[in-house]
Amino acid sequence: MTTDIQDARKKLQQAMNIAPAISCGIEELLGRSANGMTFVAGRKLGKQMTASAKKTTDVEEALAETRRVLEEHHCLWHFEPFIPSTQKEMVKQTEKGAEIMLVFRDCMIRQSLFRYGHHQKGSLCFMMYGFFSGALENIMGKKTELQIVHTGENACLKKLIIGS
Amino acid sequence: MVEILIKKEACRGCQICAEICPTDVLEYNAAEQKVFVKNAADCIACLSCTYICPSSAISQQDFHNVKNFYRDLEFSVKAKRYL
Ligand code: SF4
Ligand code: SF4
Repeated sequence: MTTDIQDARKKLQQAMNIAPAISCGIEELLGRSANGMTFVAGRKLGKQMTASAKKTTDVEEALAETRRVLEEHHCLWHFEPFIPSTQKEMVKQTEKGAEIMLVFRDCMIRQSLFRYGHHQKGSLCFMMYGFFSGALENIMGKKTELQIVHTGENACLKKLIIGS
Repeated sequence: MVEILIKKEACRGCQICAEICPTDVLEYNAAEQKVFVKNAADCIACLSCTYICPSSAISQQDFHNVKNFYRDLEFSVKAKRYL
C-alpha cells in the first residue's frame, strides 16, 4: 500500500522524467526553433497564472507579486535579485531599459534536467524565460526579457530587462 | 556570505574555474600559477567552479543547497515530517 506522500512523489518523479524527455525530443526534431516554441508556451502560462495578479510598475513589487503567484500555485522557483559589487543599485538603467540580475536557486526545471540527464539552457529553460516574460508583462504592462547568463549546478544567473 | 576555499596544493592552475565563473570571483595568479578568490562577495553559489575543477580543489561553505526531488520513495515517507 502506498501513502499519499509516496503517490505525490511518484507523480512528481514521472513529471520530472516526461518534461525533459519531451524537451529533448522537440530539440532533436526542431533544432533551435524548439526554444521559440517553449518560450511561447511559457509566456502563455505566465500570462494565465498572473491574470488576476496585482498590477504595478515598481520592479521590486512586480517581482514580489510574481513570487506570490508562484507560491500560490505551489511552484518552487526560488529567485532573488543579485547586485554585483561594482553596482550600487539593484536596477541598472541602460538604453535597452531597466536591467536587474536575478539568481535562481531552487528550480524544478534544473532538477528535472539533471534527473533526466539533459543539458541546461535548452527548451525547458526557455519555457521558464517565457513564463517570467509573460508574468511580468502582465503585472507591469511592459515588454520584458529574461536572458540566461549562466546555468550552474546549484544556481543560475539571469538578466531581466524591462523595456522603457 | 558564501565562503570559498581553494586548496592551493591541489590547484594545477588550469583556470577553468575562473573562466566558468559568471561573476568574476576567481582570478589567476601567474607568478604562483594558482587561482585565488578575488571577490567572494559576488559569489552566487552556483557551484560550477567546484563541479568543474579537475583537482577537486574548490569547496564552499555557508550557502543555500538546492532541494532536489528525486529521492527514493521510502525516503520520502521518512522525510515527510520535515516537508
Ligand atoms: S579549476 Fe581547480 S585546478 Fe583549475 S585553476 Fe581552478 S582551482 Fe585550480
Ligand atoms: S560558485 Fe559560481 S559564482 Fe561562486 S566562485 Fe564558483 S563559479 Fe563563481
